Amino acid sequence: MGLVVFYIFGAITLVAALGVVTTRNVVYAALFLLVSLAGVAGLFVVLFAEFLALVQLLIYGGAIIIVILFALMLTRSTEFSTTAAEHSRWPVAAVVSIGLFALLSAAAVGDSQTYNGTRRVGIDIKELGVGLFENWAVPFEVASVLLLVALIGAIVIGRTEPGQDGEGRAE
Amino acid sequence: MTLELVDVQILAAALFCLGLYGVLARRSAVMILMSVELMLNAVNVNLVAFSAFRDISAVTGQVIVIFVITVAAAEVGLALAVIMRLFRARGSVNVDELDLMKG
Amino acid sequence: MGIEEAWLIPTYGFIAFGVLAVFGRYLPVPGKYLSVGAIVLAFVTFWPVLFDFVSRGVGEHHLARKWFTAGDVSVGSGMIVDPLTIVMLALVTFVAMLVQIYSLGYMKHENNGREQDDPNITWYFAAHSLFTAAMLTLVLADNMLVLYLAWELVGLCSYLLIGFWWQRQSAVNAAKKAFITTRVGDVGLLIGILVLASETGTFDITQTIAYVTGDDYNQGVVTFSAFMIFLGAMGKSAQFPLHVWLPDAMEGPSPVSALIHAATMVTAGVFLVARLLPVFEAAPSAQLTVAIVGLVTAIVGATLALVVTDLKRILAYSTMSHLGFMMLTLGAGGYMAAVFHLLMHGVSKAMLFLSAGSIMHVMHEETDINKMGGLRHRMPVTALAFTVGALALSGIPPLAGFWSKDEMLLAIKDGLNPVFLVLFLVAVVLSALYMARAIYLVFYGELKPENRGVQEAPGIMSLPLLVLAILSVFAGFIIFPLGGGYEGIGNFLFTAEHHAHDLTIEALWTIVSIVLAVGGMALGIWLFKSQRASVDALRARFAPLHRLLINRYYMDALYQWIVDNVVLAAGRLVAFFDRRFVNDGGVNGVGYATVEAGKRLRVHVTGLFADYGIAMTGGVSLIVLYLWWRSS
Repeated sequence: MGLVVFYIFGAITLVAALGVVTTRNVVYAALFLLVSLAGVAGLFVVLFAEFLALVQLLIYGGAIIIVILFALMLTRSTEFSTTAAEHSRWPVAAVVSIGLFALLSAAAVGDSQTYNGTRRVGIDIKELGVGLFENWAVPFEVASVLLLVALIGAIVIGRTEPGQDGEGRAE
Repeated sequence: MTLELVDVQILAAALFCLGLYGVLARRSAVMILMSVELMLNAVNVNLVAFSAFRDISAVTGQVIVIFVITVAAAEVGLALAVIMRLFRARGSVNVDELDLMKG
Repeated sequence: MGIEEAWLIPTYGFIAFGVLAVFGRYLPVPGKYLSVGAIVLAFVTFWPVLFDFVSRGVGEHHLARKWFTAGDVSVGSGMIVDPLTIVMLALVTFVAMLVQIYSLGYMKHENNGREQDDPNITWYFAAHSLFTAAMLTLVLADNMLVLYLAWELVGLCSYLLIGFWWQRQSAVNAAKKAFITTRVGDVGLLIGILVLASETGTFDITQTIAYVTGDDYNQGVVTFSAFMIFLGAMGKSAQFPLHVWLPDAMEGPSPVSALIHAATMVTAGVFLVARLLPVFEAAPSAQLTVAIVGLVTAIVGATLALVVTDLKRILAYSTMSHLGFMMLTLGAGGYMAAVFHLLMHGVSKAMLFLSAGSIMHVMHEETDINKMGGLRHRMPVTALAFTVGALALSGIPPLAGFWSKDEMLLAIKDGLNPVFLVLFLVAVVLSALYMARAIYLVFYGELKPENRGVQEAPGIMSLPLLVLAILSVFAGFIIFPLGGGYEGIGNFLFTAEHHAHDLTIEALWTIVSIVLAVGGMALGIWLFKSQRASVDALRARFAPLHRLLINRYYMDALYQWIVDNVVLAAGRLVAFFDRRFVNDGGVNGVGYATVEAGKRLRVHVTGLFADYGIAMTGGVSLIVLYLWWRSS
């Protein structure tokens, strides 16, 4: 049973990811990304990481995708661009990617003899909380500082100069 | 047949490589950013799988995933700010035109 | 003050040089007096050393002192004070002193009717002081490295002084030629010293002599070293074929010629062979070579002296010839005779050069003897001195040269094949002949109209001349036992090692040598006084021979050819190699290759993000591959 669910969510994720990387329309790509991330959330559930699944949906689906869509809105030069979505290097990129995939899969399969384990366990959310706030407290604090820095940085980089409108052209 | 670690690893690898293709082959900066998100997600899947299937502490894997998501979020924010700045300066986000480091 | 203070003798000269070279400009008193003072001091210091030496019993005193040690070899800086040293010290200090006094008068030139010092006179005296100091060091040295050092220094001073009037291109060329030719010899000397020292483990002369007189020495090494060392002596003492520099060296001032090229520097080679005579005796083939070279040199010098017309060059070839005699004698094993002749020749030849200088000084630097003649009317003192010297060197008794020539004859007769003796006697006749020619053509005959205004040279120049003339007459008597413990020069020179050699006079040979000398003189006077016409006829009849002699046996042409076609060709080859391979290939090539490589590689830096990403991915894949392979 678990295996079937896994395959379903896996397929969803991969197909959507394929859509992200092949479609010409940027907005479609963003939507495909949303689907793919949702698929990943489902995978997390299969792997007994429910809390993470929720976090995934909230953050990625709720925040990041929205931000990306806003950015798309603000950076459109024409409604539909006529130039190709890929650039001239794409065959090489494809080869390289497939090569890496082959390599990683082979490594995984090769290691499976040594590392096989089919036991799936999840964890108590209480454990997760304890781990996060006790053992990993320092990285937690650092992560919060990181977010602050990113916030300030984004504002500073992204703001318009006085005397310019949103497009960056002088008044 | 039950689910094994190998299966999840292969899935994660595929997701990662799809994201890699997107990073390397796409023209628009925003597309590249989205592909990077895919790669990060692949990593997360892998980590969760390790925490589920292995004897090591499961907490570690999931905590790391939390941090990855955090950092990814921060990174997206900054990256988009940069992209917007770039767009204002040049009028397009085509990375082919960003070759000032040529030679 | 005694033997231990003998090191003071050269020191005065070094100090004078240092002061004059650095502060010469600023001295309140003209620097020339400082230099003369230094040499007078040196001469004065010599006497206590001599007395102490005699009172201690004549023998070898080796005052050793360590200088430095390098590995197994230790080099000393001590002194050897033995009869040979004493003789050389006496000669060098005395002649140098007289020459410097003479120079006070000689180095003045006419300038608007007044006589003024040569503008560079301070440097002249500085170089003189340095030379004397170096020569004295050479004579006192107890080990071969110090000797070589002094040897080179002496050569340097010769170069400086020959080229003293550097405004003259001929002087510059002569100085270069002298230095380069003696340098060729010096290479041999260095090789010989090093080979010998590497075999014996020491540079010390006393130990080296002990080694070759012992039972167990490496014949091959000793012979090779002896040849090499003789090469150095050949260079310095103008032996054939390294003699070509000596006639040209006459470009230097006459006092320089008198000191360096008659009495001291050129005798350094003879001194060296004499000092190391046991080494040569342990290598008979080398010693025979010394004799042969000496003989050839004597004959070549004498024949060339017969045809040249430049007064100083006549004297130069005469010096060369007499040095040949000395070498020949040493080759025969005649240590005493050679050193004795060295002394006598030094005195007389120095005086001859100084006389030539006097003549040149009053005749405005004229040296062609065909333009002279009848000068005895105008320059009686100089004429007298010159005649005395010439007669002495020709071997007319009872002048100095006669005694030494006699001893040389005996040594050659006893030590070598009769062929040597015969050729030696031929050379004796020739030497009388060219001396007669010189005397006659310069001082006798008609006084030419243009020379009417010639006057005797200034007193300060004539005084040293007279002193040396007196010596030339009486110095030969030191061969006799003079009482007070002095048993004659033969005995004096032979104590401790070497072979004792009492004075011998074999009546027959003495008469032979007198006859030859007088006969040669008479022949010369007859030829040049009365039969001028027949001289020209002789010249015409032996025209090819005459041409050969005038061209100095074509030695200079030969050397020039070697330099042009061998030395310079090799240089061009090396330069080509350097330019093409080292410079263009190695140095420029590396730079060029780097730039080209950079240009080729720069193509990959496209500035495009995707390219970098692909490359990174490829690299990461390789690393993963490697790690996976390692872990499996």
